[in-house]
Amino acid sequence: MISVKNLSHSYNKDETKAVNNISFEVQKGETFGFLGPSGAGKSTTQNILTGLLKLQQGEVTVGGFDLKKVHNERFNKIGVSFEQSNVYGKLTAKENLKFYAKLFDVETRDPDELIALVGLQGKEKVRAGEFSKGMKHRLTFARSMLNNPELWFLDEPTTGLDPAIAATIKDIIREQQKKGTTSFLTTHNMFIADELCDRVAFIIDGEIKLIDTPKNLKLEYGKKLIDIEYVKDDKIVKETLKTVDEHDKKRISEIVNAYDIRTMHSKEATLEEIFIEVTGRGLV
Amino acid sequence: MKLLSSYIKEMKIAARGFYFYVELGIAIIMLLILLFAIAENPDSKSKEYLFNDLPDAMTDAFVEEDIEEGVARWADDAELTLKPIAFEITNEETGELASYNYDEEKIVTARVLEKVNTQTGALTGTTYILDNEEDMIRLSYAEQAIGATTSLDDTGRLRYKYYLQGYETDRMVDLLYVLHNEDPDVFAASFDSQQVRTLDTFGTLNSRQGLVPLFVAFAGSLMGFFIVMAYIFLDKDEGVIKAFAVTPSSVWKYLLSKTMVIMTTVVVSSSIITIPVMGGQPNYLLFYLFVITTTFAFATLGLLVASFSKSLTQAFGALFVLAIMLMLPAFSYFIPSFDPVWLRFFPTYPVLQGYKEILVVGGNVGYVLMYSGVFLVGGTLLFLLANIKFKKTLTV
Ligand SMILES: Nc1ncnc2c1ncn2[C@@H]1O[C@H](COP(=O)(O)OP(=O)(O)O)[C@@H](O)[C@H]1O
Ligand SMILES: [Mg+2]
Repeated sequence: MISVKNLSHSYNKDETKAVNNISFEVQKGETFGFLGPSGAGKSTTQNILTGLLKLQQGEVTVGGFDLKKVHNERFNKIGVSFEQSNVYGKLTAKENLKFYAKLFDVETRDPDELIALVGLQGKEKVRAGEFSKGMKHRLTFARSMLNNPELWFLDEPTTGLDPAIAATIKDIIREQQKKGTTSFLTTHNMFIADELCDRVAFIIDGEIKLIDTPKNLKLEYGKKLIDIEYVKDDKIVKETLKTVDEHDKKRISEIVNAYDIRTMHSKEATLEEIFIEVTGRGLV
Repeated sequence: MKLLSSYIKEMKIAARGFYFYVELGIAIIMLLILLFAIAENPDSKSKEYLFNDLPDAMTDAFVEEDIEEGVARWADDAELTLKPIAFEITNEETGELASYNYDEEKIVTARVLEKVNTQTGALTGTTYILDNEEDMIRLSYAEQAIGATTSLDDTGRLRYKYYLQGYETDRMVDLLYVLHNEDPDVFAASFDSQQVRTLDTFGTLNSRQGLVPLFVAFAGSLMGFFIVMAYIFLDKDEGVIKAFAVTPSSVWKYLLSKTMVIMTTVVVSSSIITIPVMGGQPNYLLFYLFVITTTFAFATLGLLVASFSKSLTQAFGALFVLAIMLMLPAFSYFIPSFDPVWLRFFPTYPVLQGYKEILVVGGNVGYVLMYSGVFLVGGTLLFLLANIKFKKTLTV
């Protein structure tokens, strides 16, 4: 559905690249995640793929359309949920969806149904200007599903939402996955990437460091960590050590020999830990 | 369809917003000013200036006749101040142009004949009789009143020369002809040598109506220019343009629907100002054609300015300069002697002129049509430029 080859982008059209020579492919029906800290270049990439930013360098096809040529009709198959919600404050929730739906040439979903889906039932006739940030975000998210998109762009779909609502959004995404929707999802939340994505790209400073399935990543990097809790000077100390690292191995035996061990178990690495290991930086 | 629904949406947003009411409020205030603060004719009693190039006995004989009939009476002689003035007049028949330019103030004495209503005895007008033609002409243009010279031709027939302001109705001009054609003796002479001269300004507009072009140009086109920008910046703030950009609908539809909203608003606001003041007189088809084409051009100019900036604050500098420039021609409107050629290149100049021509009886339809075309073409070009620019700067 998406093919990106050697994509670079510079906002100032100079050597400072927000996205630097990245390549990846997204298969049909797949949910592809862009995981990286803020400023990594995730939104920039999404904005290029959705045509909001002009393609400067690289070969990109989206839904079979070459981005170098203008094909407005491709948006009939595409849905975009924005990082920053952008709905008309002067229009009600329902009007926002109703008018947006008219812009497509394809059959669109019932606004009421979508509003209910994101938990905004009862707010159909309320102007979006009166909504909280989270509610606006949900409306923006709902709007992205109006045209039953085959290809769905989700920029930080759960960021800033309270956990219960984030869970609803995740359920909706899973539901769409079952229907075969292809998704491009950006997030700096490792749980989202882990739970929702078939494959994840680690992106930092505009560069992709690695692309794999969360499962493979954990197989490769996981089960090699040991969490140790021990008592030292009447205090409980926690350490996480790698079983494959010579230095860490020595440290484990030191601790076992010298202190009173409270708990000790091997564990699966989280995507964040793997991210840190791969990129040397955290996700915040 | 997309355009229509987009237009309906934008209208809804506008109607729930602030600027729409600002625009209508300004139109209503302007109307109130016109109706209550501006007198229709500051001096409603008619004035005329006469020079009788006749033997005194003849003049007196005419006046005596009127006095006997009870339609006129002598009043005390008046001292009149002739202010410096410059004007041009054209001979209607020959098209010959004459320029007058007076730098010095001058005081003259005129005989004053008051015209009275025979039934009520009320004063209906004043005739000032001057002792030379030049002063008469100068006064009649300074006071914007009718002037006339009566003389005898070689065959001893009366000959009339009228100095009109150009805003007298056709009916009145016809009346002048008919008046003197009643007497078959006068007919040939007066008709052949009739010299009606007009001054090339204003129209059949009284002083209240004379302000309508200015107010409509301001509350219409100029406001459209500002408000379209306000709308665009509101949208940029909300980021909704980006949402629009990821639909199969094109940016130009978005921009055009905005422009259409402005045109609708301006049709309403210019009607508020114009209809109560002008009544059924103007050709409204022509009026709305001009309202729509000029507003289109100004709104698209606003779009283009908006396409270059992120926010209203950022656009402020350009806006300020443009606003001043667009308002300059208004000065020339009030000060007829300030009319440099370069001013005609400001787009508001033909807007003001155009409205004048529409509202005046017998105005220059060709001028209005030509500039409607110019504004339509110019607006289209600006629109295309704005469209290109917007496509590039959607994410800005
Ligand atoms: N409109 C812009 N103009 C200039 N620089 C930008 C703009 N948007 C983003 N950037 C820069 O590009 C880099 C990548 O940003 P972004 O793609 O938004 O990151 P992410 O979505 O991963 O948080 C950052 O360094 C950011 O400061
Ligand atoms: Mg982002």
